[in-house]
Amino acid sequence: MALDGVDFRALPGEIHALVGENGAGKSTLINIFAGRLKPDSGAVELDGAALATGSPYAALKTGIAAVYQSPMLFERMSWEENLALGGFGPRTLRNDLADAAGRARTIAAGLGFKLPPAGAPVERCSVGERVRLEILRALSFDPRVLILDEPTGVLAPAELEAFLDTLRRLRGEGRIVVIVTHKLAEAIAVADRITVLRHGRVAAVRMAVETSGAELARLMIGEVAAASMNAAQVPTRTSADDPAPIANRGAPALAVEDLTLVGDGRRLLDRVNLSMTAGEIAGVAGVDGNGQRELVEVMAGIRQPTSGRLRVVPDRRAIAVIAQNRDLDGLILDMTLWENLLLAGAVRERFVCRGWLRRSRAIAFCAEVIAGYPIRAAGAASLAVALSGGNRQRLAVARALAGEPRVLVVHDVCRGLDLRATAEVHRRLREFAAAGGAVLLISSDLDELMALSGSLYVMTRGRLAAVADGERDAERIGLLMSGAAAQP
Amino acid sequence: MLEAFLASTIAMATPILLAALGELIVERSGVLNIGIEGAMLVGAFCGLAATYFSGSIALGLLAACAAAVALNALLALLVVNFAVNQVVAGTAIDILALGLTGVFYRQWFGVTGSAITISPMRPIALGPLARIPVIGPVLFDQSALVYLAFALVPIVALTISRTRYGLELRAAGERPEAADALGLGVYRLRWQALMIAGVLSGLAGAYLTMAYANTFVEGISAGRGYVALSVVIVGRWNAWGVGAASIMFGAAIALQFGLQAFGSAIPYQFFLALPYALTLIVLAFMGGQADAPSALGAPYPRA
Repeated sequence: MALDGVDFRALPGEIHALVGENGAGKSTLINIFAGRLKPDSGAVELDGAALATGSPYAALKTGIAAVYQSPMLFERMSWEENLALGGFGPRTLRNDLADAAGRARTIAAGLGFKLPPAGAPVERCSVGERVRLEILRALSFDPRVLILDEPTGVLAPAELEAFLDTLRRLRGEGRIVVIVTHKLAEAIAVADRITVLRHGRVAAVRMAVETSGAELARLMIGEVAAASMNAAQVPTRTSADDPAPIANRGAPALAVEDLTLVGDGRRLLDRVNLSMTAGEIAGVAGVDGNGQRELVEVMAGIRQPTSGRLRVVPDRRAIAVIAQNRDLDGLILDMTLWENLLLAGAVRERFVCRGWLRRSRAIAFCAEVIAGYPIRAAGAASLAVALSGGNRQRLAVARALAGEPRVLVVHDVCRGLDLRATAEVHRRLREFAAAGGAVLLISSDLDELMALSGSLYVMTRGRLAAVADGERDAERIGLLMSGAAAQP
Repeated sequence: MLEAFLASTIAMATPILLAALGELIVERSGVLNIGIEGAMLVGAFCGLAATYFSGSIALGLLAACAAAVALNALLALLVVNFAVNQVVAGTAIDILALGLTGVFYRQWFGVTGSAITISPMRPIALGPLARIPVIGPVLFDQSALVYLAFALVPIVALTISRTRYGLELRAAGERPEAADALGLGVYRLRWQALMIAGVLSGLAGAYLTMAYANTFVEGISAGRGYVALSVVIVGRWNAWGVGAASIMFGAAIALQFGLQAFGSAIPYQFFLALPYALTLIVLAFMGGQADAPSALGAPYPRA
């Protein structure tokens, strides 16, 4: 049972945050609001009128628009076409893309959103651009209720303020904004009221001004669980209490020399130099879309660099990659959990004997992984599509580490994870480094980077620049991210 | 000689083109319609039967379309509403159509072997254009269905790329769950596409019996529906490409007729196989399915 007797009320002119652990039922609840799921019992009402459940069209028509955690975009269509399919498109025979794009630009300008180049297909857009497109498309319906599932994770700091202002403006117009988030500080800062879900039930409803991050964290995971965890694992700021960043100097593990990648007539990667030693965690900060994805793809061997070299000790197979978009690049959702684990070549080697899969051993191994992390799943033979977002990411981490790599490249690995899962992933990364592995942590979360990384880099327009120790504060790095240092 | 070859090319390309344009619309909505061969066949039979009994070409065309639409409605119920595997359901539809037309043909017209005939659709000469040497009679002295088929190429192309309806259709074929989340109604779009395809494949079948052969034999569609499936792939899911590919396949069929009539020592079966061999060769060299709609052929059960 995903939801059990949930009673949720949001008032006009309110920003209402919905918080809870991965798998607590947040996504299920908003899918019911948006008409994508039909509840077994119970009703949804808007302005006193009952909503026909199970119909996205009815939900949109009544004024409920949603932005989902994994963007619901049409990959091969241009961004203009994607927006025209929302409320921007005139309901006439003629498909006036220029008109739709024009209206989208007006709203985007108000939000401070930067739009992709004209005619760009969504598959070429970064994750950040995709989320912005989806927010625009939801706003195009002029919704009474706007539901946002983890929207802020990929927004740049400068965009975030404008975005939160937009939410406040929508509230001022008497609309309802429901925001699903794991960032408790953000929930407290932006929301008026907060509903906490735990295991499919409402654990508590709190006014934002009367609660604290510590209280919410306790409500989310439950009193008993909270008591049994040590203080370091229930932080409001992840990993803040953990020991100082690791900067071991060991044997060389990874060397990147003058790596350049040219695509679409521009330099996606521009003479990237980087060397890492065993036991090191190196962080890469930057606004999404500045070459991080391309760097990860070159590391994963998906793309060949135009020039430059990449050396891994002892060889290329010793590198494991967790890509940013786990649904598209990481897991095959229609396959079982144990099959997904075996998709990694390094893991597969352990469970193949003369071409035959050692099926029962692989399933037993998968069951161990599920119990150890823990991943909330029905079993090793259940499908990956049944996992919640956070549990999918845990599976991706488990798979990368199960192959016993020497170098681990992770891109926004904790995006969409709750506090406990984030702490868990961070702990695994530290353990991996402490055991002699090298971690390249590419992230748009500055707190995470500051807490974990020994050496720190900033990526702007395909270039990688080291951050001097004296520059390690959020403001200075934010300035570097915006490209201030790139000016000669 | 050349004139006869070109005229034959156009005549052979027309039913393939009509069917392939319908298939194109269906595939852009995300459904792989293997049942197209069956829809052509019932169109061919019902068109001929209705014309035979009523003496009216118009009623014949209407019956052809109605029969093919009814068959596609059955397919739509299976693959859209019940999310049955599209290849299995389409193949079943083909076999059903072959059986039904065979049974009714024998029931109504007996098995005497004496073919029944009707007076066919007459070519319509487009005034002075038809008097242009060589290409005049080939292009401008043809059945109305020929003009319709070629006129539909730009219409379908523009509908898919430039209209609101085309955009929604493509959305359903790219990512049905996202299209549904936007309230576009994937089931509605796919039903509509299959109904349009029903009309077009009914006309394609009617062309075979009412404008070309003027009679019916069992299995008269002779794999032209499957050729139409290949034409959509070769045409890269684009109406202009489908038009060009249809002419190419029409020419291959016309060529095999010509070569057979030429009377060479090569067994005629080789020539018969020519259009199908061409299909295989072209598909092998075309390579990937990069332009195929992302959700093509995937059942989409609504949650």
